[in-house]
Amino acid sequence: MVDASRQPRIEILSNSEVERVDGYVGNFRATVKKKPRYVIADRCNGCGECADVCPIEIPNNFEMDIAPRKAIDVPHDQAVPLVYAIDMDNCIECYKCVEACGDLDAIDFSQEEETVELDVGTIIVATGFDVFDAAVIPQYGYGEYPNVITAMELERLANSAGPTVGRLIRPSDGKMPESVAMILCVGSRDKRYNEYCSGFCCMYTIKNALLLKQMYPEMDITIFYMDIRTPSKGYEEFYNRAREAGVRFIQGRPSQITEDPETHNLFVEAEDQALGEVIEVEAEMVTLATAAIPRHDVEDLASTLTLSRSPSGFFMEYHPKLRPVDSPTDGVFLAGAAQGPKDIPASVAQGSGAAARAERILSSDTWEIEPIVASVVEERCINAQGRDCGLCAQACPYGAITVEPGQAAQITPAKCHGCGGCVAECPQDAIVQAHFTDAQIVAQLREFLREDPEEKIIAFMCHWCSYGGADNAGTSHFEYPPDSRGIRVMCSARMDQDFILEAFRRGAGMVLVSGCHPQDCHYITGQQVAAKRFSRIPRYLERMGIDPERFRVEWISAAEGEKYARVITEMSEKLRSFDKETIRTENDEARPSIERRLKRWKSVPQMAELMEEEEEVLT
Amino acid sequence: MIQSEELDNAFVQEIMNEPGGEDLITCWSCGTCAATCLIRRYDPSFNPRLILHKAGLGLREQVLSSDEIWQCSACDICYPRCPKDIHISDVMKAIRNIAIREGYEPPGPFAEVDEEVCSGCAVCTRACPYEAIDRVVKNVKGTERAVAQVDKNLCLHCGVCVAACPSGAMSLETVNDKEIISRVGADGWLDQGGYLAGEATEPRILVFVCQWSIHSDTEWDRMDALQSENVRIVNLPCSGRVDPQAILMALTQGADGVLVAGCKEGECHYTRGTYLGRSKIALLETILGQMGMPQERVRFVELGSLNRYVLPRLIDSMSQDIKHLVTATV
Repeated sequence: MVDASRQPRIEILSNSEVERVDGYVGNFRATVKKKPRYVIADRCNGCGECADVCPIEIPNNFEMDIAPRKAIDVPHDQAVPLVYAIDMDNCIECYKCVEACGDLDAIDFSQEEETVELDVGTIIVATGFDVFDAAVIPQYGYGEYPNVITAMELERLANSAGPTVGRLIRPSDGKMPESVAMILCVGSRDKRYNEYCSGFCCMYTIKNALLLKQMYPEMDITIFYMDIRTPSKGYEEFYNRAREAGVRFIQGRPSQITEDPETHNLFVEAEDQALGEVIEVEAEMVTLATAAIPRHDVEDLASTLTLSRSPSGFFMEYHPKLRPVDSPTDGVFLAGAAQGPKDIPASVAQGSGAAARAERILSSDTWEIEPIVASVVEERCINAQGRDCGLCAQACPYGAITVEPGQAAQITPAKCHGCGGCVAECPQDAIVQAHFTDAQIVAQLREFLREDPEEKIIAFMCHWCSYGGADNAGTSHFEYPPDSRGIRVMCSARMDQDFILEAFRRGAGMVLVSGCHPQDCHYITGQQVAAKRFSRIPRYLERMGIDPERFRVEWISAAEGEKYARVITEMSEKLRSFDKETIRTENDEARPSIERRLKRWKSVPQMAELMEEEEEVLT
Repeated sequence: MIQSEELDNAFVQEIMNEPGGEDLITCWSCGTCAATCLIRRYDPSFNPRLILHKAGLGLREQVLSSDEIWQCSACDICYPRCPKDIHISDVMKAIRNIAIREGYEPPGPFAEVDEEVCSGCAVCTRACPYEAIDRVVKNVKGTERAVAQVDKNLCLHCGVCVAACPSGAMSLETVNDKEIISRVGADGWLDQGGYLAGEATEPRILVFVCQWSIHSDTEWDRMDALQSENVRIVNLPCSGRVDPQAILMALTQGADGVLVAGCKEGECHYTRGTYLGRSKIALLETILGQMGMPQERVRFVELGSLNRYVLPRLIDSMSQDIKHLVTATV
């Protein structure tokens, strides 16, 4: 941080919040709220005399509330920039600090919140993580028993710059604990709280144990673990060092901690799996290695920057293997624990990666966009005709579409990723996706259903997941009946309701729409747009006289070849259980109402041509 | 439930200060040693991993009073397999040393000396792989003379001394000569005429096999299937335990050949039992020659840990060789 502050081309805005981000890759405009410090940064030299005279003491959150801080203070001793700030919620405005500051005259009670706009080419999100609240787990007694503390609290207690100047004491009586039990996986690897592995707790717990062993060789330290995970370079050796130093490792997750009310000593009960017996360890202090969790404001930032989140809640990368630093929004990159629990070397590596990725954009004059972006046919957009629509903008996961009253919708090509959700949502067919036009897709339908349509299953597949799943079924040699005909689109959001109706109009036996699982969607919220649309279809089909069982929605990942084969097999069996004549009758009955609905296609340029080619023209 | 008071760090330190016990706490209980250990085949309760884990926790009383710490015979099959490079038998020895100092006694059985019969020749002293036998001067029935004396803390009941003793003064409760001979002759196996005598269609082979040289359950099962009219398999605690007298007896009572199978040199469960067994058979071959009997009728084979399931082939090969004896004579 100090290096960064000295670099003239880096501007640090601390105590600030990103309110809003407009624009697109290379041309972002960020609106940033700078909160007042009530201290003029340029004048403050960080001497701290103001804090010395301040009469107000409040809990110090950097010291995990173990120590006090003043109402005018720096966040911590190594803070960059080293500028004091007044906590107005606690300040009594006695102005003693103003007096102490003297000629420097750095304190300014009239400071107000300031909003700045920054034009930036790229954005790197490195917002870190929060720590799981151990009090949520009742059996560990955190918050009840004074001597059960978190590893973060231990960190401050053992730190030579911490509140106890490095002398380890236990909260109940201020004595040095002679025995410490450390519990791993608190709030992580636990379905009730966070299913994921927090990753670095094994290492910092081993580090704490070794640190204590070095400071107090006589201390009895027991680590309770499920698995020790030390996969990075040099980590396993570090773990071995702890064992050799005499740290006791017991494989078993503690079931409960009880406290002796007299001594405030704790009894940790666990099954020693290596022994096959329950073991109860008495410890004068217990530390909990609490899970790293997504920051509390992760949702707000996700919507400000159009980012998506993994099932764990952390920001999702563009691709888990090939683009682990990129976010789904071009020009926005992820670094550190904001993307997932990470230790220091991994965070530094990802940070450097993000900087390099950003530089790649900043150093070039042009930016290549996807060839499959959507564009608006202005004369068809009803918003331009004064009617209030904007459905396309609602469907866009990237905020690439702006809809102003009285004007046709505008798509920023640099922001469009080509999912096709807007194209399918537009009730006027006023948006066209290059290479995935309605006409191209309907032409495929026409060919597939030219002969014996009632024996066919039309399977719409999204490019990233279910098409991969079908491919996986093939490469894995999973057998399924040859009744399906696949149509690939980029996202399930592109699967227009009209295509499904058109398939039945052309006599299809069954229709499958398939896409990614909700958390896997390549286009952030494309799957959600699709799911909402598909949920309406069965009732609609029923009203038209088509058995809703002839339509199916499935979410299939690229790894689920077996599921794809199973779904098609099940659908084939269902299809064969229907009487062909019944299918034909149902389709014939529904045809007039479908044709009424699809009449507008006659005015869509390419579609009209396609329709004319056929003998049977929409009535 | 195990409680904190039982976790004795001083005990852990004590073991680690004992020569051989240094690596105790680096064990992470992976269980490779337990999966390797041959003792577990005969005593499923024996688990080296568990002993090390308990010792590492400092469960002094549990560890020192257990019978298990005395069972490891230091065959060291586990040692080259241990990922933490812990010399497990050395750790066991360190634990045993502490137990001995504190007055704990091994459960036995031990080799016992019939002092009245013992001539004090000290053959057993030299045969014992564990240097557990000493020659001491004692008052035996009023006479001061040298006799063998077994150190119970060192004896691992391999029975090598019993087979070595020329006077028949050594005995071991578990595997004594009588019991071995009764196993050889069970179901009248010894009362039938042999192939060489023209009274059987196939050569009849007696196999003495060291119980540690067969490593897996499957291999044991296959061996059991070999038992027949012509093949008798008798297992011994060690190939060094084989008694030349028993072999000669078998050869004169209907067995055409005797095959002794031991561990490979260097893999012997009792460090040098294989050496003793092989030497005995070599000597016996010479004696057979002197007696005018074909040397092919006895044979010693080594079963290495990497050549498994070969015993049927070895028996068959010996059988063929004995058949050739007849053809050659004709």
